[in-house]
Order: sequence, then structure tokens, then C-alpha cells
Amino acid sequence: MMQDPNLSALMRALADPTRRGLYERISEAAEITVVDLTAGSGVSQGAVSQHLKALREAGLVAERPEGRRVFYHATPEGLAPLVTWFDHYGLFWRDRFTDLRRLLQQLDPKEDSDV
Amino acid sequence: MSDIAEMTKSIVVEDTFPHAPAVVWRALTEGGLMAKWIMPPTGFAAVVGQEFTFQTKPLGKWDGTIHCQVLTVEPERTLAYSWAGGADDNAGYGSRLNTVVTMTLEATAGGTRLRLEHAGFDLPRNAVAYQNMSDGWKVVMGRFGNVLPEAGDGQNG
Repeated sequence: MMQDPNLSALMRALADPTRRGLYERISEAAEITVVDLTAGSGVSQGAVSQHLKALREAGLVAERPEGRRVFYHATPEGLAPLVTWFDHYGLFWRDRFTDLRRLLQQLDPKEDSDV
Repeated sequence: MSDIAEMTKSIVVEDTFPHAPAVVWRALTEGGLMAKWIMPPTGFAAVVGQEFTFQTKPLGKWDGTIHCQVLTVEPERTLAYSWAGGADDNAGYGSRLNTVVTMTLEATAGGTRLRLEHAGFDLPRNAVAYQNMSDGWKVVMGRFGNVLPEAGDGQNG
């Protein structure tokens, strides 16, 4: 079976717990600077920068320079290789059924009744 | 053959709705109504052989188009269509996809039982990712779930 190089890079990037922690914090923030990431990370700013480089190369985060500062944000499509169609559609169809229930209620209104 | 059964998997979602099969059938087969719970179809008609598409977000070399063809139409009972997309260069979500969606309706005392089976997922390609991700996986799924299901682009406006 062909091993996707992007997939390998991605898995390596997320295998490190510190890096994964940083990635989580970037995901939770809309945008965050290296300085803010370093605060509370327990590692040096240099180490954070190295982790950011790995995350960037794996396609998980992107940077936006503004003046002398660089803001980082998560690029969720970078996770695609880790999410199978199977997982995606498992969630997708359950959500769609929720929408279907709402639609049917509009098409054919029934009085609300508690079971 | 059991070999084949082990290589592909199906998603099954079942639920009962307090509406007659005729109403549910409309939601499954009228383009304007499909748009309100699946995605807006292009070229759909509940006629065997009919080809249509859904448009989702492009990813890598895949333009995001889901190509479908109606396979079975039994009014108020069964609707099935093929569901294909993806590109060979992508891994995971966005990889080559060749599946079938079958919706089966069954009248019940108070309404309709709907069973949706999405069959034909090919898992070997992603087995490695599964095995190696362990705890990182849960984090990833949570984030991803909020972003990619933009199937419904434009429905919110």
C-alpha cells in the first residue's frame, strides 16, 4: 500500500505531546503569537518556534505576519488525511437526519407532544 | 466472499419520524427539499439512471464534486444512488471514494422508519492512520468535525 508522505509528516507532527498541546491551543484561539504560545507552555520560545515549524510543514497551521509579530492559526483541512470518509459520513448523516426531522416537521406540522 | 466484507464498511443510520412515508419520500426525492437536509443537488430526478451531483469543498486535486447516479426508485419504499468523488492523490477525507447510499422506508404505526445505509467504504488505505494516532485521534476528530462538514454551504443564508 502506498504511504502518503503528507500523512507520515502529519502523524509525526501530532505524535509529540508538547506539539499536540500547542496545536490544540492554536486551534482554540482564533489567532495566537509565539510569545503567547510560549507563556504557559513550559518550554522555551525557541522550542515553541521549532514545534511551529513542524506544524506548519505538516499543513496544520499557517502564519500571518503583522508588523513585527507573527500570528498563527490552525488550518483544519490539514487534518483531512487523518479523517476517513467513513468517519466523516458517520457524523454527516447523523447531522443530516437531525435536519431531516426539522424539515419534515415544517412540511407536515405535528403538535409537539412529550413522550 | 468474506474477504470483500472485511475490506469495506457501511454506515447505517436509522430513525423513526412521525410523518407518513409519502411525506418522507418527498424530502428524499424533491431537489428543493433535498437541499434543506442533505445538500443542493444539481440535475437530480428520481429516475433510474439519472446522473446528478452535489458540490462540497475542494481538497487537493479533488474539485469537491460528488458524482451520483440513481440506482433504485421504488416510491415510498427505496431510493438508492451511487456516491463517488475524491482523488487518488488525497489520503483520508478527499481520497478516491466509490460508494452507494440506500434509503429504505417502512411505514410504522405512527409514521415512518427510515434506514440509510452508506456502503462501500474502503478502509485499508487509512488503517495505518487509525492505528498510530491513538490519543491524538480524539482531539483531531473534535476539531475536524466542526470544520469540514460544510456540505451545507449556503444553507444558512
